[in-house]
Amino acid sequence: QKSITGRVLGPDRKPVQGASVSVKGATTGTQTDADGNFRINAASDATLVISFVGFASQEIAVNNSQSVGTISLSQLATSLNEIVVTGYSSQKKKDLTGSVAIVNMEAAKKQPVADLNNMLQGQVSGLTVVGTGQPGQTPQVRIRGFNTFGNNAPLFVVDGVPTQNINDINPNDIASTQVLKDAGASSIYGSRASNGVIIVTTRKGTGKVKVSYDGYVGTQKPKGGNVWDILSPQEMGNLKWLAYKNSGKAPTDAQFGSGTTPVIPDYILPNGAKAGDPGTDPSTYYLDPNYNGSMDGFHQIVQANKTGTDWYHQIFRNAPITQHNLAVTGGNDQAAYLFSVNYFNQQGTLINTYLRRFTIRANSTYKITNFLRVGENMGYSVISNPQAASGILVEGSAIGMAFRENPMIPVYDIKGNYAGSAGKDLGNAKNPVAIQQRTANNKGLANRLFGNIFGEVDILKNLTARTSFGGEVYSGSNHSFAFPEYENSENLTTNSYTETAYSGYNWTWTNTLAYHLTAGDHDLKLLGGTEAYLATNRNLGGTTLGYLNFDPNYTSLSTGLGTQTNYSNQNNGINSTTAFGADNTLVSYFGRLDYTFKDKYLLGATVRRDGSSKFTTNRWGTFPAVSIGWRISQENFMKNVGWITDLKIRGSYGTMGNQFNALGTNSYTLYGTNKQTTYYPYGGSAIVQGVSLQQFGNPNGKWEKDKNLNVGFDGTFFKGALEVTADYYHKDIKDLLYQLTFPGTYGAGTVPAFNVASMKNSGVDVAVTGHINIAKDLKLDATGTFTTFSNTITQIDASGTPYFDQDSRRFNGSNIVRNAVGHSISQFYGYKVTGFWQSQAEIDAANAEAQKATGNPNAVYQTDAAVGRFRYADSKNQHQITNDSKVFLGNPSPDFSYGLNLGLTYKDFDFSMFLYGVQGNDIWNNVKWWTDFYGSFPGGANSKTALYNSWTPTNTHAKAPIQEAGSYFSTQSVPNSYFVENGSYLRCKNMQLGYSFNFASLKKAGISRLRAYVQAANLFTITKYSGIDPEISTNSGNVNATTDFGIDEGAYANPRQYLFGIQVVF
Amino acid sequence: GAVLFNACNKSFLDQSAKGALSPDLLPTKTVLQALLAGAYAALDGQGAGNNAIAGGAPWEASPSNWIYGSVAGGDSHKGSSLGDQPPIVPIATAQEDPSNGFFNTKWKALYEGIARCNAVLKTVPQTPNLTATDRVNIANEARFLRGHYYFELKKFFNMVPWIDETTTDFNQPNDKDIWPMIEKDFKAAADSLGDKAPTAGQANKWAAKCYLAKTYVYEKKWTEAEALFEEIGAGGMTSTGLAYGLTDRFEDQFDAATKNNKETVFDIQMTANDGTNSIANANGGDMLNFPYNSPFRCCGFYQPSIDLSNSYRTDASGLPYLDDYNSHPVKNDMGVISEGDQGGAPFTPDADPLDPRIDWTIGRRGIPLHDWGNHPGSHWIRDQASAGPFANKKNLYWQATAGTYSDQSTWAPGSAINIHIIRYADVLLLWAETQAQLGNLSGALEHVNDVRKRAALPVNFLKTYADPANPMGGFSGTNAANYVIAPYASFPSQDYALKAIRFERKLELACEGQRFFDLVRWGIAETTMNAYYAYEGQITGDLPGGHFTAGKNEYFPIPQIQIDLVGKAKLKQNPNYPQ
Repeated sequence: QKSITGRVLGPDRKPVQGASVSVKGATTGTQTDADGNFRINAASDATLVISFVGFASQEIAVNNSQSVGTISLSQLATSLNEIVVTGYSSQKKKDLTGSVAIVNMEAAKKQPVADLNNMLQGQVSGLTVVGTGQPGQTPQVRIRGFNTFGNNAPLFVVDGVPTQNINDINPNDIASTQVLKDAGASSIYGSRASNGVIIVTTRKGTGKVKVSYDGYVGTQKPKGGNVWDILSPQEMGNLKWLAYKNSGKAPTDAQFGSGTTPVIPDYILPNGAKAGDPGTDPSTYYLDPNYNGSMDGFHQIVQANKTGTDWYHQIFRNAPITQHNLAVTGGNDQAAYLFSVNYFNQQGTLINTYLRRFTIRANSTYKITNFLRVGENMGYSVISNPQAASGILVEGSAIGMAFRENPMIPVYDIKGNYAGSAGKDLGNAKNPVAIQQRTANNKGLANRLFGNIFGEVDILKNLTARTSFGGEVYSGSNHSFAFPEYENSENLTTNSYTETAYSGYNWTWTNTLAYHLTAGDHDLKLLGGTEAYLATNRNLGGTTLGYLNFDPNYTSLSTGLGTQTNYSNQNNGINSTTAFGADNTLVSYFGRLDYTFKDKYLLGATVRRDGSSKFTTNRWGTFPAVSIGWRISQENFMKNVGWITDLKIRGSYGTMGNQFNALGTNSYTLYGTNKQTTYYPYGGSAIVQGVSLQQFGNPNGKWEKDKNLNVGFDGTFFKGALEVTADYYHKDIKDLLYQLTFPGTYGAGTVPAFNVASMKNSGVDVAVTGHINIAKDLKLDATGTFTTFSNTITQIDASGTPYFDQDSRRFNGSNIVRNAVGHSISQFYGYKVTGFWQSQAEIDAANAEAQKATGNPNAVYQTDAAVGRFRYADSKNQHQITNDSKVFLGNPSPDFSYGLNLGLTYKDFDFSMFLYGVQGNDIWNNVKWWTDFYGSFPGGANSKTALYNSWTPTNTHAKAPIQEAGSYFSTQSVPNSYFVENGSYLRCKNMQLGYSFNFASLKKAGISRLRAYVQAANLFTITKYSGIDPEISTNSGNVNATTDFGIDEGAYANPRQYLFGIQVVF
Repeated sequence: GAVLFNACNKSFLDQSAKGALSPDLLPTKTVLQALLAGAYAALDGQGAGNNAIAGGAPWEASPSNWIYGSVAGGDSHKGSSLGDQPPIVPIATAQEDPSNGFFNTKWKALYEGIARCNAVLKTVPQTPNLTATDRVNIANEARFLRGHYYFELKKFFNMVPWIDETTTDFNQPNDKDIWPMIEKDFKAAADSLGDKAPTAGQANKWAAKCYLAKTYVYEKKWTEAEALFEEIGAGGMTSTGLAYGLTDRFEDQFDAATKNNKETVFDIQMTANDGTNSIANANGGDMLNFPYNSPFRCCGFYQPSIDLSNSYRTDASGLPYLDDYNSHPVKNDMGVISEGDQGGAPFTPDADPLDPRIDWTIGRRGIPLHDWGNHPGSHWIRDQASAGPFANKKNLYWQATAGTYSDQSTWAPGSAINIHIIRYADVLLLWAETQAQLGNLSGALEHVNDVRKRAALPVNFLKTYADPANPMGGFSGTNAANYVIAPYASFPSQDYALKAIRFERKLELACEGQRFFDLVRWGIAETTMNAYYAYEGQITGDLPGGHFTAGKNEYFPIPQIQIDLVGKAKLKQNPNYPQ
């Protein structure tokens, strides 16, 4: 063994940085530095393999020399020899038999987002990502549709450590990301592979010390205009007058009076007062915003905002975003290191929401002897990330209040305290500005150390043992203060302070033994291993009421007057206050075989056996997979087809498992106490401890099994100018764990997960990449991705009903979403609106039909049918609208999604654009329940649709039904198709123009690269959806996120972002 | 590695639950007592985090039955604005549908209570080292509670599945009349519990006897009922040993400061500010039922009906107009805007003879609302045109003691006022009814008059404020209205006696969740409710399409979701509901 040097240049004779250099037949390797130089230890008769993404790999014999000199990589821009990290192993791309999508991290990193999840949207086929504009909110990520009824987030394997939380991994530290989509690729992760696996490898250094800086600053702009088409104050009055007229009642209103037309008052508190009214004399004003107890004696004076308050833009404003990343890398064939620090600060466009994140990473590897390597990868993060109070897309949030708060209410009263709905007839919404501003001093901090240490020893020439111990240690705390309210019609009058803390850790210990044999036409790799996993955490918290003073420096759990509550628990997930839980453990054994014959017949086989603490009698699951590949282009009969550079046909079949949806305590029947539900005040005062059943146990729970078939091909054409990967897959998922609803006679204990359901998914993933030299110096790179999935629930073994319903919102027991056999997950369900009842004669005729059909002389066709209200479809031909008349109204899952990455380079300029779209999905626009119906909480804000495009005798083909004082079955008290809208959209996610400075003086100053760019994100969106943003995820607090999504009740819209950035390498 | 894991696989994969008791830890005296407390704790139907005990909104499971007994029975309106809590509208108008989620919430809450009783009864025989007294008392208090939960189910839904401590298959049919099982539970408790109980909130033998008597009355077993009432009348006492009787002050029944008195037969105990920072033990089920736009904050529900207010009209001799009370309406401020609001006008309250209980039951404009000031009228009413001009008064706490007896820790108030399952006035009226049914009109007269005489005590005549500007400063010596009330001189016939007794129940137990169930067992629900819809529906806007259908609306529909879960074949819908 001796040290060999060399230099790698590209076809343009410029140095290639980061090219892989390895010794053929061994596992050792290094990478080239910024000048293209490398140094590697190899035997004098060894052959070096040089490979780099997009270039043909080359083999160079050492031939007893010290240096192999300069190696030029050829034009052939294929990635066939790219090394791809797969399950516990790595392979060349050409040898892959499973479906593996390789993320173009350079393109992905152009998204100005903090989280890898968000970056992946549209970048790889087979992956669906739905996010929001809220900083720090983890988006929904689904690999090939739905795999479970619960947690559908993929398993990330970061440097060999499995985790589902990557929101604190600095994307700049990521070297490569691979998405394992089929069983062939991911079954080796058996137990947790079902949702798909994303392999993330963080960067290592090479070559001499290099310092690089990347940074950007920018601004984010919320959507402008009257985003919900809210009426002006005068129009609000006109709507009430219209609604009362329609209801046959004379309108009276404490603010607008009782005249023939509504008159905007000068003041809304005192109710409807005119200027000069003694009650509006500022000297009579009395209000203590920091009161402790009762509001006795308060006299608030609020002027009417006659032009109307734009509540949306009172809580959303332009916000800055900035990121700084500094990395130091270096290495030689004995040691390599990366050290990086990153600061990310995204202020939300919603006031007092932001993500501030500081991360630091240190990766290093050491070659101690020729046969022993050790190393570590460690990332530490500190995150502060307050999100919208009360969540998003759900009633009660500040956003949800912004389309409900009456526009006549100003933000502040005459003395600068908050104004609100406290006056009469102003609805019952809360001041959204107050909601968000009151959270200003609520703070939270999360810390996490994530990483691993590993050792690798070459026992024999071809036999390598590896051990890796990794995981995370984390902790965090939050404190918040709830201020008493005074400005609303329904105030919270207490003040309280709440503090929570959590800490926990999990670890994964992996041991593998790998054997690699190359003999003639045969190439055989064998791998066996074991893995153990343990996760635990603790929560601690409390709340105290009654503070003398609300100064954030004073309030603590100890300084309140009220009873101090406290709680603690173990392993329930972060911030859970549920009393009980159990640690989760896994034990696994796995093996893997990769065999190549003549470099064209490929076989892969994996098997894994997992035991989980979540199960008792069926603890162990076995997850095998087999995959084959045929590089048909290597066959003689294909070798003459000049335009085919490489063509491989692949197929795989296997089983993946899942256990995310069972809690650690799933097997156990548990009794417990809860002061609110099981304690009893026997004497009518102090509560006495009580116990009741808290959870039923299911000792027979077992692994979900996902049987997965994949066929596809990888093609490289025209010497790499065109690459196409396409896959068809079919997944049969059995024994889905789901928390059934027990009949009420069981009592109220939590129902555990049972293996009760099945579903199937099928779809096509296509990725096409092209490289075109349009003219001299003008190069176009384009990548398109196309993803479809079709999901069908095939079985729900709930006794009696082949469906389960979720999410009733204000529909009082009728749910919006039905998950039913034969249908896709989370479909909208309700009555189909066919039009309006146009006359009493039409209603009479329908009633007569119902009476004839039912033989009941009192039968009515449709509950509270009336002229101008919705007529529902008699979908079952019953001549009557019953519970059975409901139909599926829409599907929030798209038919397909697509992404298009375009990159243009001209000399030192580069331009890129990324378009992303989804097609064929529906959105349940529940905002309209509030804005388009006067009768939904009168006094709250309403839309122009309600006033100008609702049914009247002269506008019989309106959009909205007749406006009335009440809420009816035939208008908005049951789910109906009025709320369903087309959610398709095409969005320009990103557009970037960059310039690389190529001056000799820079080189002299030691700057090897200097690039500046301007960027616009979310520049435009083409959609028919009437809401603010068609990208509708789920409320972050929704425990049923998989089976209940696509409902908009106040979205945190993705803002338009404008950035300026700079990249420097020293 | 593999060897290492093999060795410890077993223990490594066996992770026990933290923070909970496994079933084998239940059979000890302290845990058993806690299980019993848990069975009591289900009485209020309230769970954690401002939810009903088995899911749903707090009010849907309210044990006061304000929706199902009072609103459905016409002594109150839903209240608030028409579009707020719309599922109550069909319940108020006898147009309810099985898919109405309110019934499901109530059903689940009651069966959770039963599950907790069964847990006690299952654990008692397994528990060592219990004294014989403990063993008997714990088991029989659980049986008493189970009787209560089933009594509720029976009067709501009629045919319901029976689940007891021996049941292993919880998918039981509803093919049996469960009155005999309810009787058995109450009888066991009546036979074995002591005269007194360890605390005021626990059932004693007399509570069980009263509940058994009430069961007999519901079953029209008049002779069995009469025998029990005689016993109760002779020796009945509260759990703390007070001989049963009526408190002089009617208002003491509706004030947390005077709860658990001699009139208390069985109450659901409530407490405020219990350290949970919630109103889960503080009448969460009635959190909506406070005047709107007022210091109570929320939400303007549960407004007494105009029909009810008219029932308190008395003639010159101090007796009610049993048949034509609506022809002698009590003046109210419908359509008159409060002074101080735009368009406001003055209002003078009714000056003609009234039963004094009206002003402890109904908050009406111009009359003191405890120590909160004279009710201002429309200003504190969310939508007068929808639900009338009144406020409920029996569940209002006092301003002077609000710090102790109200709980403001959530978005609507809680209170420490107990909910009466049975109070002695109820017992006396059931007794009177039993005697009238058995032809003992003098006995019936005596017991009705016991109730009327208490109402007629001068202490029950509400007074005006000494200074209306300072309502907490106390009351004057002047009556707030023209109170005229007297006992019945005689009952000329059994029919008259029954009519008078029924009317007395309406007056005495108004807004206590009883009315609907009384009307049904009397067999007069159809005529009474349809008359109510005809009268009241002309005045308020919240009773559209109100119509009671005999043979259907006597019982609420079995919740559709429960039928879906168990199957139509086992769980049968009540007659004339969509099957």
